[in-house]
Amino acid sequence: MKVRQSMADLLSALKKNDNIAHWHTIPEQKAKMTPFPEYMHTKLRAALERKGISSLYSHQAEAMEAAKAGKDMVAVTPTASGKTLCYNLPVLQSLIEDDTCRALYLFPTKALAQDQKSEMNELIDEMGIPLKSYTYDGDTPGQIRQKIRHAGHVVITNPDMLHSAILPHHTKWVSLFENLSFIVIDELHTYRGVFGSHVANVIRRLKRICAFYGSDPAFICTSATIANPREHAVRLTGRQMHLIDNNGAPSVRKHFLFYNPPVVNQALNVRRSATLEVRNLAKDFLKNGIQTIVFARSRVRVELLLSYLQSINKGRTERAAVRAYRGGYLPSERRAIEKGLRNGEIMGVVSTNALELGVDIGQLQVCIMTGYPGSVASTWQQAGRAGRRQDEAVIILVASSSPLDQYITQHPDYFFDRNPEEARINPDNLIILVDHIKCAAYELPFNEEETFDGVEIQDICQFLNDQDVLHFQAGKWFWMNDAFPATNISLRSASQENVVIIDQTVQGNVKVIGEMDRFSAMTMLHEEAIYLHQGEQYQVEELDWEEKKAYVRQVDVNYYTDANLAVQLDVLDVDQENPNAINSYDAAYGEVVVRALPTLFKKIRFETHENIGWGPISLPEEVIHTSSAWISFSADLVDQFGKENFEQALMGLSNVLRHAAPLFVMCDPVDLSVVPKIKATHNEQPTIFIYDKYPGGIGLSEKLYDMMPQLLQEVKRMIGRCPCSSGCPSCIGTEGEGNLGVKSLILKLLKDRQKDESMCR
Amino acid sequence: MSLKKQLERYKTHLSRDTNGLTQEKPAIQKDTDKQNIYDKELLFAAENLGAEIKTFDGQFVLVRTEQFSLSERLGPYSFACLFDVVAEWQKDRAPHPLSAYNRRAEELLFFDTETTGLESGAGHMIFLIGWAKVTREGVTLKQYFLPGPGHEAAFYHHFLTDCHSLSNLVTFNGKAFDWPRVKTRHQFVKDQVPKLPAFGHFDLLHASRRLWKSRLESTRLQMIEKEILGINRDGDIPGHMAPFLYFQFLKQPNAALVEGVLKHNLDDIKTLITLYVHLSCKILRPFDADERELFEIGRWHQSLRNDQKAIETFEQLLGSQSLLGSQAKKSLAALYKKRGRYKEALSLYEECIREGKMRDPALYIEAAKLLEHQFKDIEHALHYTKEALQELGRMQVLLKEKQETEKEKILHRYERLKAKRI
Repeated sequence: MKVRQSMADLLSALKKNDNIAHWHTIPEQKAKMTPFPEYMHTKLRAALERKGISSLYSHQAEAMEAAKAGKDMVAVTPTASGKTLCYNLPVLQSLIEDDTCRALYLFPTKALAQDQKSEMNELIDEMGIPLKSYTYDGDTPGQIRQKIRHAGHVVITNPDMLHSAILPHHTKWVSLFENLSFIVIDELHTYRGVFGSHVANVIRRLKRICAFYGSDPAFICTSATIANPREHAVRLTGRQMHLIDNNGAPSVRKHFLFYNPPVVNQALNVRRSATLEVRNLAKDFLKNGIQTIVFARSRVRVELLLSYLQSINKGRTERAAVRAYRGGYLPSERRAIEKGLRNGEIMGVVSTNALELGVDIGQLQVCIMTGYPGSVASTWQQAGRAGRRQDEAVIILVASSSPLDQYITQHPDYFFDRNPEEARINPDNLIILVDHIKCAAYELPFNEEETFDGVEIQDICQFLNDQDVLHFQAGKWFWMNDAFPATNISLRSASQENVVIIDQTVQGNVKVIGEMDRFSAMTMLHEEAIYLHQGEQYQVEELDWEEKKAYVRQVDVNYYTDANLAVQLDVLDVDQENPNAINSYDAAYGEVVVRALPTLFKKIRFETHENIGWGPISLPEEVIHTSSAWISFSADLVDQFGKENFEQALMGLSNVLRHAAPLFVMCDPVDLSVVPKIKATHNEQPTIFIYDKYPGGIGLSEKLYDMMPQLLQEVKRMIGRCPCSSGCPSCIGTEGEGNLGVKSLILKLLKDRQKDESMCR
Repeated sequence: MSLKKQLERYKTHLSRDTNGLTQEKPAIQKDTDKQNIYDKELLFAAENLGAEIKTFDGQFVLVRTEQFSLSERLGPYSFACLFDVVAEWQKDRAPHPLSAYNRRAEELLFFDTETTGLESGAGHMIFLIGWAKVTREGVTLKQYFLPGPGHEAAFYHHFLTDCHSLSNLVTFNGKAFDWPRVKTRHQFVKDQVPKLPAFGHFDLLHASRRLWKSRLESTRLQMIEKEILGINRDGDIPGHMAPFLYFQFLKQPNAALVEGVLKHNLDDIKTLITLYVHLSCKILRPFDADERELFEIGRWHQSLRNDQKAIETFEQLLGSQSLLGSQAKKSLAALYKKRGRYKEALSLYEECIREGKMRDPALYIEAAKLLEHQFKDIEHALHYTKEALQELGRMQVLLKEKQETEKEKILHRYERLKAKRI
């Protein structure tokens, strides 16, 4: 007979586990409570009391104070700390005092908006006051849209809807815009990169429309923990922000464990699959009736883990005790999972990062992450899911073989000591800005002296005038085109025009299986390319470059394809330069033009890596203008190292940089590109460029330029601490070759200038 | 780097939705000389268009007025016929969307606009409003042309001052298209111009769709004009070109660019008068209508719950031997039944069944219902229910599921009747 093990038993077993690389304990925190403020309306107070709330957490109380003083604010709060009350309390208080007031809530997804509506309506029902809150999104039926426009006190929507449906039709929303008192932006940290830069401009447009109708709403933002919440909120809203970061919610004692799977291939430094390790770890908890959430980075992983974990249990009901949770679930399904977790019917949940956002599934006892989630900020978000009731909580981060995961696991201090990453946006990216100037001019003509929330725009208007989009008359720029600008502008697509991948394996069931940015498509979706999608091989049969469509068919072959891309990089302007005597490199930041032309591709056999054929690629050259940071080395070093060695060192360094950059800015690896040049055209020196992949740049490379010394310091540490001897796929990307060993070459390359006289020029 | 230089550099990334008519051209200079030249050219254009310039608040609008004789014919009617149909509507108190009961012909305002785009968003303007009024002196047609986007206050001021009532607009899809746009743009100048009066309207698109959808490939005004009214327009500028011509005009105010657009708008409005007369004739004097029109008019009355009118209309199809005749009989039978004329209803259903033109189990079911409940003739009711089943079996089915539920319902009825017989 099996005896159930308790949490304490399991913890002591884990203590003996050799694979635990680090054990960090976070002490328990007591709640910081504040009584309801005097001025809080009695009905609101009563409603809260009926819901079992008799006082406020310190951050909630501060939010009410700040709102009362008319301040714009951003509240930084961890998962499950009652952050919704930070905005619902001030908003409801105002609505009770004056029911002509209106509030606009923005959430990044429809699902979150739905959740909020339910929560808001529950509170309103408790108060027994006829206030109306509605979601307004693509799913809202036509009949009630008009009602929402006229009578919705709280309109809950997403930035996309605001951009394409509300702002361009503002004349139908007069009662909202005339009386708008609050704009609530939840999950502020999700508005970063290209998406965030777009959203910042949508907010500029929103403020402009409010001004037109004579309202001046206050902003209430909430964000997960990021390094720069106030700065980010300021940049996104263009307002000065009061920062609330005195989280008063209690938390239990938490054990944060780094788990590094054992090495299975010493030479390649490959470790056992994180997925399998996670399965075993999760199994131990689930078997003993301890509620566990498992995070995986892709939907496929989620499916895989789900079937592993379900197979622990035989019977049907037991199998149902482990559930998957992915984006795209219906509210009713989510409610069912939440309920199941509360009443204990559901033991485990396997999720993608969908649950990173504030969806309210409550907290569980154990959180297991399959691989480093990619940023310190998301790691803490996911970790926040563990910590229920009085029990101790366990968080296990299971590392994969990737350089970043390995780095984090081997540098626990680095993780625990550092601030989360910064969220970066660049609302003034010219391409994004021009897009929104168009939309704004469509909504309301620009005056001759007008700025776009402080941004000079007369030149842009003149440009659009010359493009026959705007027309200048009587001191104003008017929209004068038959197009509806918002339809052509998507807030979420990273690249302007992606290539759609269409699977035509089954006739009559042709389907889109993915998309890829144009740049990557040139080398990965050219005709005859073997494209891997969720572990399946597909061959590209046709690439319609005009229409941006790649037609693929499933195949089973024993080779992969590798395309050569000739990348030409020219520096157009140097904006900042930092030649220094200490380091062996000069760093700079500026504008570049990248020209890429695919030349040919090779077919390479899997096991032997032999070249078994090739073909030409005929695609036009792609050109993007963007911003870039770069570091240049003295050309003398090439001779000193030997050309071949130097090339390898430069390539290896580029590869490490590619992995290290996300430690400093919150971004996806696809947002940045790293290109080494043995002889850059502008200075004829060996140079590594790190550029923003989005035309015009979104501020990533700019930030990296600022932090270049720290970035290269991390690079050195990453290489230095990797246990391989001369370089491995986990650090420099390839197996080290040559006598010297690429690792030491790179370290030599980054050596301080003073220490090596010969490097001085 | 200057923004201008940057704009030039990023041009390829930026020119996404500029249209095909884009041309390189020198930048507009904002100095007053340029403005004066433009104003002069505009005056000249107004003269060429035969429009007078009316000012308001430093802005202006081009207003064109044209008179037509009542005896002028367009298609089958002269404009004077409007008085006849309006007079006829007075004899008919039954509500109908096209009824001019309690209104004078002079109160009808035939109305159409041209816009800078088809979207309903805030940024598309109306640049031409035209309306016509028919009085004993003749037809007066007025057009208000917006000389540039900065003149909307003058544009709406003069239009709204001239027409204080907009409660009898006659339009082609005005409720969904023209009127929302008037409301949207009015929002921008509401502080300067009169309030929008209450809106009431006769939608000729809706009426045309009802009557002629089945015979026309589209119910666009030009199509109806040509196919139904027999009017041929020469050298018409297609409506979708209007925005582009207007954009050109804004750059170079040359009357020739927009003459065609004004003509198009004028022709559309004149057609609205003829179309209103024609539709009214069809409804008021159904004997002029063909079978399909009669049937559709009957159905329209039926949907308006004007049973008496519907019965009268369908009865005119009783002599018809076509499929449409059978369909009319079926509708008529239902109306008879509603009024308690069971015998007539039953005999119509039976006639339809005998004719065999419609393959519809509902005919048998309806007959069975009447037999069971009104005539207590269970035997016959059973007979028809059985027939209904067979009929259902003979039908070509697209939706299997639907057929199954239908079948179950009939079987249920059958069992119930059988039980009742015993």
